[in-house]
Amino acid sequence: MQTLLQLILTGLQIGSVYMLFSLGLTLIFGVMKIVNFAHGQFFTLSAMLVAVLVPWLLMQGLPLSAAFGLAVLGGIAASVVLGMLLYQFAFRFFQRDLAGSFILSVGLVLLFEGAFLHYFGGAVRSVPPIIDGTVSIFGTAVTLQRLILCLVAFGFTFALYWVLTRTRLGKAMRAVAIDHEAAMLQGIPYKRIAFHAFAMATFLGAVAGAIMAPISTVTPTVGADYLVKGFIAVIIGGLGSVPGAIVGSLFIAFIESFGGYYVDPSSANMAIFVLVMLILLLRPKGLMGNG
Amino acid sequence: MDKRVLYSGAGAVALLCVATAAMTAGYGTNLVCWIAIAVLTAASLRFVMLIGELNFATAAFVGLGAYGAGVATTVMDWPFLLCLLFGGMVAVVVGLVFGYVTLRTKGPYFLLIGFAFTEVVRLIYTKVHWLGGNSGMVGIFPPRYLDAWLPTFVVAVVGVLLLALYAIEKSHFGKTCIAIRDNDAVVQSVGINVHMTKVACLCVAAFAAGIAGGLSAYVNNVISPGDFGFLLSTFALAYLKVGGEDNPLGPVAGAVLLVLLASVAMGMGAGEHVFYGMAIVLSVLLMPKGITGLIQRGWEMRRKRSAA
Repeated sequence: MQTLLQLILTGLQIGSVYMLFSLGLTLIFGVMKIVNFAHGQFFTLSAMLVAVLVPWLLMQGLPLSAAFGLAVLGGIAASVVLGMLLYQFAFRFFQRDLAGSFILSVGLVLLFEGAFLHYFGGAVRSVPPIIDGTVSIFGTAVTLQRLILCLVAFGFTFALYWVLTRTRLGKAMRAVAIDHEAAMLQGIPYKRIAFHAFAMATFLGAVAGAIMAPISTVTPTVGADYLVKGFIAVIIGGLGSVPGAIVGSLFIAFIESFGGYYVDPSSANMAIFVLVMLILLLRPKGLMGNG
Repeated sequence: MDKRVLYSGAGAVALLCVATAAMTAGYGTNLVCWIAIAVLTAASLRFVMLIGELNFATAAFVGLGAYGAGVATTVMDWPFLLCLLFGGMVAVVVGLVFGYVTLRTKGPYFLLIGFAFTEVVRLIYTKVHWLGGNSGMVGIFPPRYLDAWLPTFVVAVVGVLLLALYAIEKSHFGKTCIAIRDNDAVVQSVGINVHMTKVACLCVAAFAAGIAGGLSAYVNNVISPGDFGFLLSTFALAYLKVGGEDNPLGPVAGAVLLVLLASVAMGMGAGEHVFYGMAIVLSVLLMPKGITGLIQRGWEMRRKRSAA
């Protein structure tokens, strides 16, 4: 029972980061119909900046909580600015062009990975614990820090859900995702909506990176691992589907946490792949995809 | 027209073989081999584009070919040509199963599954003990009598396969593939089995990729799982994108240019990732049809001017 609960909690923790990451992917795909491999780079940049800035700000004599807060803000801001620049100077020209946008994003991945390695070095970094203490849930000990970060991730997911279902911008995004020409006929400014969606997706990726940094180790290539998992989650759930991304992420995270405990991590990765193949065989557009 | 292209292509390959035979062994001959293998990998990627899909599992097929040839050579001790062919066949068999399952999906789904497949196959190599695990396999040598002629052999094999791919592209089968890319519903409506045609197209590409892998195993003598990650597909994509995917000569132009430039750039201390990343981003933004597209447009403009 104890182990089971522990594994479920681990699954939820990993899943919350995957969830934020894949929500960004599915949002961009839904609105712009592009596959953005560079999404992992926003994640890496924000995680890396947090890992670099926290020790540096501590050296400047700031208290830990202030240092962490500033580093997170800096990391997210830098990623979002980078995302906006990439949209303005590159992705804008490749909307609804699957092959072109994919190739462009792969080029950007190589470029940024090389740049990150150059500027940050290949070293593995970690962030000192921000919040001390553990809480006990049904007799299972969980560090408070992990619990809070996990809750923050779920909070952002609900916030996105609220934006998409309740606000004008969110409704416009959903309309564009269903049929962008019909949406434009209704007077929805497609280009502006696409820009907002891209910025929002980079923001989600950056938040995922900032949340991941304190609970795991950070390397300049960490985005690639999350990219594979994030895309598999989105494929399972169906590209462009928000609930699909959530379900897919949790699914992968649970296989990873249970498989990693009972068998070993790389077998768990292979099992994930076999399951994806099975799901695609039965439902070629994912569990919740429709178009 | 079709025959003339084939004959002139065969002539060009023969000339190249003679030229490589005259080269003395060293860095230059290795470079020739790497370029030839890069050309074949990019051509394999391009072949699946005939049905309109981006096959990111190309790296996996190259790896299967390399491991197939490696196992046949070091473990089973088969004759050289059989080993090479075995590598290609391993890629075809896996391609058949992979294609049968995944080609029901298309567009982004197929692309992403290929990407994930590459990573999983790489993981499998690291887990399997008799494939050398993480450190890979060593001692994959070509036979003694080929030692001096290896670059010539590689160029000849690549050349023949390129011509074969061209011939298939221009055949009835190739035209069916292109029709599927343009509109698969129409092809289905005249009674052609779209799904199996796609699978066959993938198998042809997998064979070419597998042979490219086998050749690379013999040229480098050492293979490891890390060589066959999705980065390999990405590089192949860079060759194809810089060269231009609409022209059968695109992969050749792109691979020759990028491998040469990269070897110069690396000599000056630049990172491989940054170089290829730059090449892809710039060519996608500035010349969407690649070098061959640029040349073709320049040619047409000149012809128009002389006609006017």
